[in-house]
Amino acid sequence: MIRSERRYRRSFGDLSEGALAFWLLLPAGLLLGLIALYPVGRLIYTSFFKQRLSEGPQATFIGLANYAQALADDRFWNAFWNTVKIVVVTVPGALVVGLLLALIANLPFRIKWPVRLGLLLPWALPLIFVGLIFQWFFDSQYGIVNDVLMRLGLNREYWLIQPTLAFWAICWTIVWKTSSFVALILLAGLQVIPSELYEAAEVDGASRWQGFWRITLPLLTPAILVALIFRTITAFQTFDIPYAMTKGGPGTATETLAMYVRTESIENLNFGYGSALAVLLFLVSLAITVVYLRYVRGDDG
Amino acid sequence: MAPRALGVGMNFLRSPRVWLWIAAAIVVVNGFFPALWIFFTSLKLEGELTRLPITYWPQHPTFQNYLQAFREQPLGRYFFNSVVVGVCSTLLCVGVASLAAYALARLQVPRRGLILSLMVGISMFPVASLMVPLYQTFTELGLRNNYLALILPHAALSLPVATLTLVSFFAGIPRDLESAAMIDGSTRVGALWRVVMPLAAPGVFTAAILAFVNSWDEFLLASTLLPAKAMRTLPVGIQLYQGEYSFPWPLISAALVVALVPVALIIALFQERVVGGLTQGGVKG
Repeated sequence: MIRSERRYRRSFGDLSEGALAFWLLLPAGLLLGLIALYPVGRLIYTSFFKQRLSEGPQATFIGLANYAQALADDRFWNAFWNTVKIVVVTVPGALVVGLLLALIANLPFRIKWPVRLGLLLPWALPLIFVGLIFQWFFDSQYGIVNDVLMRLGLNREYWLIQPTLAFWAICWTIVWKTSSFVALILLAGLQVIPSELYEAAEVDGASRWQGFWRITLPLLTPAILVALIFRTITAFQTFDIPYAMTKGGPGTATETLAMYVRTESIENLNFGYGSALAVLLFLVSLAITVVYLRYVRGDDG
Repeated sequence: MAPRALGVGMNFLRSPRVWLWIAAAIVVVNGFFPALWIFFTSLKLEGELTRLPITYWPQHPTFQNYLQAFREQPLGRYFFNSVVVGVCSTLLCVGVASLAAYALARLQVPRRGLILSLMVGISMFPVASLMVPLYQTFTELGLRNNYLALILPHAALSLPVATLTLVSFFAGIPRDLESAAMIDGSTRVGALWRVVMPLAAPGVFTAAILAFVNSWDEFLLASTLLPAKAMRTLPVGIQLYQGEYSFPWPLISAALVVALVPVALIIALFQERVVGGLTQGGVKG
């Protein structure tokens, strides 16, 4: 009896609960360790070295010199402020457009799939393809945007050639691409607001407009905050859309932080300095993530 | 007669049905227009595309651009690469996530909250920051331009969201079913395989769709880790269609349509699942 039980225990099927949990979590731990945690450690380590592959593989420890260089680098600050500007314009932009789309999608349609697909399609299109398609929209000669402007009797513009216009064209594209995801999150929030609340408000003589401000918005606040923080984090990492539309141009007028990281490290093979720039980008994301986790995990303790 | 006709016109606008139609049209046109426009573009030949004023509807629709897109660039190869990376990374991601999610939903895991927070935190890491060390590491391992160099990162990047989606699915399956199977002599792993997994299948499927779409769309790592022409995925390959001076739009638009068909099909067929998965992962974090 005892022997057979021991053999049974040794078989994989009946590990103690703690051991089973360990083995089940191990693959996830290994994968995330290899692809996320180890790279971040290595990134920070490399950022303390001078390592340019064009001058050979050797790395020299230079302490914080890469960071000092970054803080004195006009191109870094240009990329930083471009990124901040994109965040400041596109996060509220996507929120307002997304809220509008969500309110429409929440109407009592009998056939739901066209509207649902209308929200899903922008989410599913690859960012880099959205950039390419909108580059074609904003083409100064054959683009539809200039065509519409001319039909309205306005002047055609050099959208992706003139720095300010290029910035706005990129922001427009990002808002189009990201507002549908915001709309899906807000729609989920709208759908759990009990309709009795609106009925009660109507009985009390409240207008629809008052209902929106007094019921919808307050109850939607948690979903709005989640969308806001999530969108802010991804907006700081903006790469694909400006890369496809302008390659950061004209000059470096629309270059973002993520684009500068790629240029320095992958194209110029300047690993040390590129890593320092990547650490700075990482720290910004981390700070916002901590706020997000405080918020999301905070209330369910 | 005339005022009466006008009155009918106004009544038409007062009907809530009409406003519903207008509202639906706004969302549908907003969502579909870019994809439709690029489809129309792909049916126009170079001559029509570079004529002013521009045409909206294709004058002489033709599929010639598609033939040329496959002939002038290894578009079929790019497609194949995207499928290999997408399918392998999805399987790896969902397999690993299922194991982890079961443990997190069902077993006594010390520091469970910390593990979940860590996962959310990792999913927010900027890909641009991971790119540099991954480039160095995979180059040293001799794995650059090997499918593995992209499969592993894509699986890892979707892993947190997949795990969180599955944790809520597993948590929704009654424990009694499992206990019953275990009393009937099944081991815990046996019960997991025969009782829990079939019930969690919809969740696994949702997580798989999200992981696949993420992989299909990813550009930054793909362009860094699989840069060789024969290894490029669709986003990388098509982005590079743009020559330094020429913009071969007929080819690009045809290639874009080819690349968009799989994701468009997936979201069209499984829209409710995708919406559920997205909002659950997003709202519950």
